Amino acid sequence: MDMRQVDPATVRVWRWLTASLAIPPGIGAMVAVFTDGGPWAVLPGAVAAAALALAWVWPPLYYRHLRWRLDSTGIVIRRGVLWQSWIALPRTRIQHSDVYQGPLQRRFGVGTLKLYTAGTRHTRIELPGLAHADALKLRDALLAEDDGRGA
Amino acid sequence: MAPDSDFQPQQRLHPLSWLFAFLAFARQLILPAIAFLVFGTRPDGMHWGAWLLAPVLLVALWQQWFYRYGFGPRGLVIRRGLLFRSLRQIDYERIENIDTERGPLHRMFGVAQVKIHTSTGGRPEALIRVLGLAAVEEMRTRVFGAGAPAAREQAAAQHGTRLIHLAPGELVRYGLIDNRGLVVVVAAGGVLHELGLFERLSAQVHGALESSAFVELVALGPGLQVALAAAAVLGGLIVTRILSIALALITLYDFTLEARGGDLRVRHGLLTRVALTLRTSRIQAVHRTESLLHRLLGRTSLRVDLAGDAQVGNPQNAQATVRWLAPVCTPGTAPALIAAALPEVNLDVQPDWQPLAPRAGARVFKVTTAIWLLVASAPAFWLLHEWTPLALLAGVPGAWLHAHLYVKHTRWALTPDAVMFRRGWLTRALTIVPRDCVQSVRVTRSPFDRRRRMARIIIDTAGGTGGKAAIQIRHLDARAARALAAALYRTATPLRASRAARERDGSPQALWS
Repeated sequence: MDMRQVDPATVRVWRWLTASLAIPPGIGAMVAVFTDGGPWAVLPGAVAAAALALAWVWPPLYYRHLRWRLDSTGIVIRRGVLWQSWIALPRTRIQHSDVYQGPLQRRFGVGTLKLYTAGTRHTRIELPGLAHADALKLRDALLAEDDGRGA
Repeated sequence: MAPDSDFQPQQRLHPLSWLFAFLAFARQLILPAIAFLVFGTRPDGMHWGAWLLAPVLLVALWQQWFYRYGFGPRGLVIRRGLLFRSLRQIDYERIENIDTERGPLHRMFGVAQVKIHTSTGGRPEALIRVLGLAAVEEMRTRVFGAGAPAAREQAAAQHGTRLIHLAPGELVRYGLIDNRGLVVVVAAGGVLHELGLFERLSAQVHGALESSAFVELVALGPGLQVALAAAAVLGGLIVTRILSIALALITLYDFTLEARGGDLRVRHGLLTRVALTLRTSRIQAVHRTESLLHRLLGRTSLRVDLAGDAQVGNPQNAQATVRWLAPVCTPGTAPALIAAALPEVNLDVQPDWQPLAPRAGARVFKVTTAIWLLVASAPAFWLLHEWTPLALLAGVPGAWLHAHLYVKHTRWALTPDAVMFRRGWLTRALTIVPRDCVQSVRVTRSPFDRRRRMARIIIDTAGGTGGKAAIQIRHLDARAARALAAALYRTATPLRASRAARERDGSPQALWS
């Protein structure tokens, strides 16, 4: 199975995003230090450190486990490190699609492809971390042979 | 969709429409009004409620006066309002159903409330309150005469074949099985609590507790007290069952399922007559349920999922729209009904039932035992003290039996047209999903799954209820799950879309070429 990986630039996006989790507890720790509440800095400080460690370790792991494949039927996505899932979506089932870019994603030139189905439990299937141009190309390839009728 | 600009709808509602619009609002005030009259409670809502009625009446008259509908060249056009105008066009081809609902008052005046459904599903595209019966019939012929090919077929075959009709005896059985009486009791309790009835009751109970009768009851000793409590519980059970039977008789009275022009028609109700159409092309899954009570009475229940019924973001309503194929039927008639609901699925193929993963039973046993220990520990310790470990151990064989029976009765099968899943031993359920109804397939593996080489498969359709996928199978062998998912993914190409195309082109060979 030749499944493709997404754009490696997305690792940096995820790193920044995860690292930003450290900001609120980091501020808390700072405030505790500067207001002489010395011991109280330990807990938020530990949380902030854990968030930073997670930001370093997790994104490359997630990147390594995120794969996708386009075939004649539709798209297959495999993702997840601990809880792994394998998602198969026939192209005839795609109702509409979004290519989404947050500010940070735009800075690194990546985008998230969001595919919507008429399903019940999984109405939106996302493939994050594609290079923006690739996301647009993939979207066009998926919608090309579809007449838009899903249900 | 822009309406045809020169078309002006001319038809008006039935002259008495204002009455039904008014009553629809007033109905919400009925329960408090009854409580007020019977129990003398005085909820705060009553005063403003009464004052609201007069303007409501005016609004209802106003709306009726400016409401017009008509049959445009392309679709049904509905114009509402004078100051805030809305002009809605619903294309004929997109109209799937015209359903009617008639309460006793509707029947007295010979009118019906009409709901127009499109393929969007969920809420009706238009609710017309109310039309005369002749107007409804005219709407049916105008809409389905001009529109979709399937509807033309339907108009051609006016006389359908009756698939099932439930006699009152069957409805009594359904009432016994179903427990809606309990739901009603709980809901009524909630309403009465809101109205402040419980405070009055508790005052009376306090009075009773101090009376001589209660003192005598205490003197009877624990044995008789327990017996009295048991009798009270039993009485409650009997009352809720009787309520359930009454509800079943009222709501499902004269339940009839007909096949007409390739679609299914359902009619039921004693006070409110409901008539609705189940388009077979919209049926996403058939569910068969057999609880212990079902089996004791020799019956099963059949319901279907319709595309668009999922009602995303409105889980309360999802419960209300159970699409019965048959609330109860004998196991012997079930296959014919399932075949009528899924005409494109070849059900003669003997399904090759596959078991769960070999070690699924051990896992179910472990999980059940863990849940038992968690739930039972505290009460057991509180009631039994030093006998606690023994009581907890007594649950272990039960957990083993449950795991054994669950695994024995849980099977899945893949036929050329459908995927089937049956599960459970106490309440047994069977779900059949046509392969061309599959929206997406997902195989997930938790760390626990991976340790035992298992996986879970989630098969999503457009018609699940309550945000649940149509089929979810846990504890599958990982390889079997992947193979099943890959097979479903390849064949999820909608045959029905090609069937629609074939109907458009008029060439029956197009599908198979």
